[in-house]
Amino acid sequence: MNHSLNRRHFLRSSTALIALPFLGSLGFRRFASASSGGEQVPRPKRLIFLGFGWGVTQDSWHPKIEQAGMDYTLPAGLEPLARHRADFSVVQGLLNKYNSNGHYGSTFWLTGANEFGQAGQSFHNTVSADQVAGEHLGKGARYDSLVLDCGAAAAASGHGQGLSLSWDIRGKPISGPKNPVEAFHRLFAKDTTPLEQQKAMLAQRRSVLDNALENARDLQRTLSKTDNAKLDEYFQGIRDIENRLSRDEKWLGVPQPEAPLKEPKSELAGYEEIRLMYAIMAAALQTDSTRVLTYRQPVSTLLTSLDIRIDAHTMSHYLGKGPEYLEASEKRDKAQSALLAELLDQLKAIQEPDGSCLLDHTTVAFGSNIRTSHSLDNCPTLLAGRGAGIKMGANIVVPKDTPLCNAWLTLMQGSGVPVERHGDSTGVLKQLLA
Amino acid sequence: MCPPKAAASVCLWASLFVGAAQDSPLRAAGAAQAAMPPRHRSLLGENCQGCHGPEKQKGNFRLDDLPLTITDVASAERWQKVLSAMNSGEMPPDDEKQPDAKAKTDFLDDLANTLVTARRQLSDQHGVIALRRLNRREYQNTIRVLLGVNLDVSELPSDTGGPHFDTVGANLFLTGNQFEQYESLAREALEQAFTAKMAGTSPRKHHVESETLNRIFLKKNKDGLDAMERANNWIKAVDDAVAQPGNASVVADLRQVAPSADALRYHWKKIPGAPSPMEFGFDKTAEVNPATVYLYRDFTEFVRYDQYYLSLPHLEQGAYLTDQTRVGGGNNIAAIQGLPIPPSFPPGEYVVRIRAAATEDAPAERKFLEFGLKGSRGGATPALSTHHITGTIEAPQIIEVPFSFRKENADRGHRNLFIRERGAADGRNDERVKTAHKQNGFGPKVALWIDWIEIEHLSNPEDLPPPGIRALEIPLDDKTTDVPPNQLRPAFANFVREAYRGGNVPQGTLERLTGIYNSRIESGTTHRTAVIHALASVLSSPQFLYCAEPDAAGRHRSLSDLELATRLSYFLLGEPPDSILRELAARGELRQAEVLSAQTDRLLNHARSGQFVRPFLSQWLLLDRLDLFQFSQKLYPQFDDSVKAAARQEVTETFAHLLRSNAPLSDLLRADYALVNALLARYYGLEGVAGDHFRKVALPPDSPRGGLLGMAAIMAMGSNGERTNPVERGAWVLRKLLNEPPPPAPANVPEIARLAGKPLTTRERLHAHQENPQCASCHRKIDPIGFGLENFDATGIWRTTDSYQPVSEGVEPDPLLKITWKIDSSSVFHKGPAFAGYFEMRDLIATKRRNFAKGFCSALIEYALGRPCGFSDEGLVESVVEHCEKKGFATREFLHALIQSKEFRSK
Repeated sequence: MNHSLNRRHFLRSSTALIALPFLGSLGFRRFASASSGGEQVPRPKRLIFLGFGWGVTQDSWHPKIEQAGMDYTLPAGLEPLARHRADFSVVQGLLNKYNSNGHYGSTFWLTGANEFGQAGQSFHNTVSADQVAGEHLGKGARYDSLVLDCGAAAAASGHGQGLSLSWDIRGKPISGPKNPVEAFHRLFAKDTTPLEQQKAMLAQRRSVLDNALENARDLQRTLSKTDNAKLDEYFQGIRDIENRLSRDEKWLGVPQPEAPLKEPKSELAGYEEIRLMYAIMAAALQTDSTRVLTYRQPVSTLLTSLDIRIDAHTMSHYLGKGPEYLEASEKRDKAQSALLAELLDQLKAIQEPDGSCLLDHTTVAFGSNIRTSHSLDNCPTLLAGRGAGIKMGANIVVPKDTPLCNAWLTLMQGSGVPVERHGDSTGVLKQLLA
Repeated sequence: MCPPKAAASVCLWASLFVGAAQDSPLRAAGAAQAAMPPRHRSLLGENCQGCHGPEKQKGNFRLDDLPLTITDVASAERWQKVLSAMNSGEMPPDDEKQPDAKAKTDFLDDLANTLVTARRQLSDQHGVIALRRLNRREYQNTIRVLLGVNLDVSELPSDTGGPHFDTVGANLFLTGNQFEQYESLAREALEQAFTAKMAGTSPRKHHVESETLNRIFLKKNKDGLDAMERANNWIKAVDDAVAQPGNASVVADLRQVAPSADALRYHWKKIPGAPSPMEFGFDKTAEVNPATVYLYRDFTEFVRYDQYYLSLPHLEQGAYLTDQTRVGGGNNIAAIQGLPIPPSFPPGEYVVRIRAAATEDAPAERKFLEFGLKGSRGGATPALSTHHITGTIEAPQIIEVPFSFRKENADRGHRNLFIRERGAADGRNDERVKTAHKQNGFGPKVALWIDWIEIEHLSNPEDLPPPGIRALEIPLDDKTTDVPPNQLRPAFANFVREAYRGGNVPQGTLERLTGIYNSRIESGTTHRTAVIHALASVLSSPQFLYCAEPDAAGRHRSLSDLELATRLSYFLLGEPPDSILRELAARGELRQAEVLSAQTDRLLNHARSGQFVRPFLSQWLLLDRLDLFQFSQKLYPQFDDSVKAAARQEVTETFAHLLRSNAPLSDLLRADYALVNALLARYYGLEGVAGDHFRKVALPPDSPRGGLLGMAAIMAMGSNGERTNPVERGAWVLRKLLNEPPPPAPANVPEIARLAGKPLTTRERLHAHQENPQCASCHRKIDPIGFGLENFDATGIWRTTDSYQPVSEGVEPDPLLKITWKIDSSSVFHKGPAFAGYFEMRDLIATKRRNFAKGFCSALIEYALGRPCGFSDEGLVESVVEHCEKKGFATREFLHALIQSKEFRSK
């Protein structure tokens, strides 16, 4: 397959995706009555980012540096992924050079920003890779991107500041569903209201937003520049909803997809919660509800659910501690790998209309800005799936302290996102390409 | 009421703060420089510049032209690179000349701190306060004040957990998602408020006499006795058949496979004349498997337990709290199941009353009762409160607990209140029952007796209906179809004014609101729903969600009286200004120093001043850490949820006491008293404290309590729930008490792994920190303080020995590897005096009153002004501290001085 040709082809057609009639051609049709078959349009590219805060057990998660290439020994921490060995690669040597906070596993993971980059501000961030990608990949889907989080469990899970892995174009945190129930409802809640009434409600919704904008403008006139910069978040929030409404309007009459899984129970925490969230993410891609997903996973409650009584932060400092801390850390790795393996199973099991499987068009990035304890170099990075033309089945060792954003750039370009740079990127990582 | 003393000193503040507020020379001089001491040039010269100097620039990095004083982001970045490379051990490379360890330690120490200073300087907002959104708790309080509804706001971001207080505007974001959450929360709140208004104030009370519950017990007992008798009768009947001489050979054969009498009876069918258990009232299961019958014969403990229970006195007036047990005793029901809230009771504020007593021979540690709401976790649900039972059955006490019944609990069917003996939910019931049974033959004796329980809907007589509802003089029912605009508009106008905290109704607002109302009516919704939609838009408008202090020109200016009222009220109560503040503001009087001072005192004495004390203290002292981990109930059974809650409360109660009595802030460093209730007093081993309220108790001179360091909550935070964490404790003391915060934990410092799992004392383990400069540069300050606190175990209990048992998962711990040692809490402050142990160290820390006051003051400034306390605030800090020092660091003075300062009164 000619990769670049495909990408151009996709990009060209993606500009037409905004108009509804074309939607059917891009995967949406499988929910309509029958697929016409013989589709020529390439399958849309999907991206999943999974962030796990407190890092990994450095010696048993990373393959040996000296075993670069396809012939590496699968380390114990990745053992549960053995059946997918040909479908993922581990990348070693990556670094977010500006991050110096050993407790921020997720704040800058997808942005590469410099917290102190702006004089006169105590905190600064920039747009995350998923949002850049969603802007381009998400147009044909119901949601540009879906941002998932673990709610209150995030605080003790080593993620750092933020409301999710995602940061918008102005570097503000983005929030989204915080548990499987919310995520399920966002994607699959049935709206049984008649179409006319839905239209009327959209109009009402607009009037509410107009009113909110008017109120904001009243206030805007009276405020200083700094205050207006803050109020801008409010405007942006309203604009985001308006954009969503415009999208909803285009999708009026198109029923929410049938959920390929049952409505979740609310009490789940930790292992089962992540597992369910993964299932929902797979379902979101299966129904083409979105093409870009992020999930800031719980670590603290994962430990509790694994019957580990050590708090997550202390565990991440296992190096100076007793063997029970190391064991906890390794148990955590295995659990996270086992969950990922299940997700990959699901993505492989979902068939695309052209006979390929979903994982052929998807890239899963699985990692954290923290390696172990407060170490931020060689941050754990596992890429799975063939959606971005990344080399699979390999232990890819890049020069020490290569910008992590180079990997994101490579992922995005490989998925057809026309970006030239991201964060502190210096270029595409050729070593990553198949 | 304002104490006369406070009013008298107002003039002094006026001159001190209002006058001195222009950039005084003091302030300019106070700004520290972010500069590396020049002596460190030599280390760079000797060890680094060979590769990173004028000749060579390996890695494109050059050090010789790096300025020692950091004034911009770019040079901060370059220095950060130096720090990171040296911390990670990457530089100087192993095969190059290494700097002297001491010089390297000092270098890293200075560089880390210089960078912290530089970051603070570079991020200084120079007094600019970013437009502040109401944070989550302020939003909740505001809705409660405005509409009388206690909303569940857990879906909103908590706004805490970052490096700054939850009041700092720059960090309070707002997203589209959140806007929609505000909308739906507003609708929900309005729905509830309207419903409450319609329901009116009819009193609701549900009262249960607990003796009525004993009937269930009695019946269970009768059934049990009856079954026991039937079981014995059947056994006897079978045994009679076995004894029949005619059955001898059958029995002999059966005995081959079933030698014992019990086993033999399993084969009753083969023994002629042996009856079926069903003839004795047992069911089919028992016929197939007589084991069921044996159960009734063997597990007679429950009968004995019931007999014990039913023989207790005072059952005609009340009932006793019993465990719900399964093993070996008890009838598997608790005598008192709790109190279901009747279905007709709406969400709202209630009071629960319990008339209770302890039995005559109840041991002191069992005289505590837990109250709570049964949630999804059933019996294990954590209690809402714990109460000391001091009443006797002759003279019981009445416990009154305020209880907020939330909509989500009503919806989820969590309508069952529970009362239980403290510890009943600790998962060790079976163990207790077994032990007691061995001792007395029936099971755990009862300790607490309940006469009755009741729940009553509270109506707030002074403030009903709440102002937001009072503002609406229109029908709020579901029947009304339409209300004319001439009634609607004034109602909306009043509501908007209330919601905007007394601010103006911007032009066009009412038109837009009636527009929303009309469009809803046109689309067929009811009047009530249309009103809710219109008002929800008010409650999700920026004027409501932000505390705006308009000034288009962007200059620093004085606040208007109303803005001052808002800032003051959110600072000290976390809620919008009440009518008194607003009236004073309307008359233009609030800005007068003595009026402001009197109002400050009024709010500090307010019943809801906890809305300042709790959030401020828990964020300032990082008390959230208490919830980061589970405390091992196996190691520390006494530190259960009730004691943990009391320990946390001690911190806030102590501070509230300082505020109330205007006692010295430095009492937090050392005091000869503690604020405790009965539960905590027991935990600390202090005698003679009864009841639930926290009161000041004089401490014996040798007590380690008194002051923050002696508080269980503070020490427990410095642990991981099993073992102490001297590093965490030391760093906390440096940050919070000595105001010498160590730099943030650096990234990429290699951890010392070689000691993991070795049988070493804590000291031996931490000594490794001194081995390499990357660790020593911070730990030489942190660790000695941690050692000084080692006499407190992971739950803040005093100890003199400690031990370490290496463990490994799935392997029995080897007792031979266990080491035990006597705690040595002596050490030496880095560049400071030595101390022989905890008491000396505490007393040395207590001499640093000024440092402590400065740290406290900086925290207060950030919390109150809603922006980080920057270098440009050094002058303000200095002047407040100086003023308070003259007043013996009286706690209230800090609040007064800050509130009177120009910074607090300006935008």
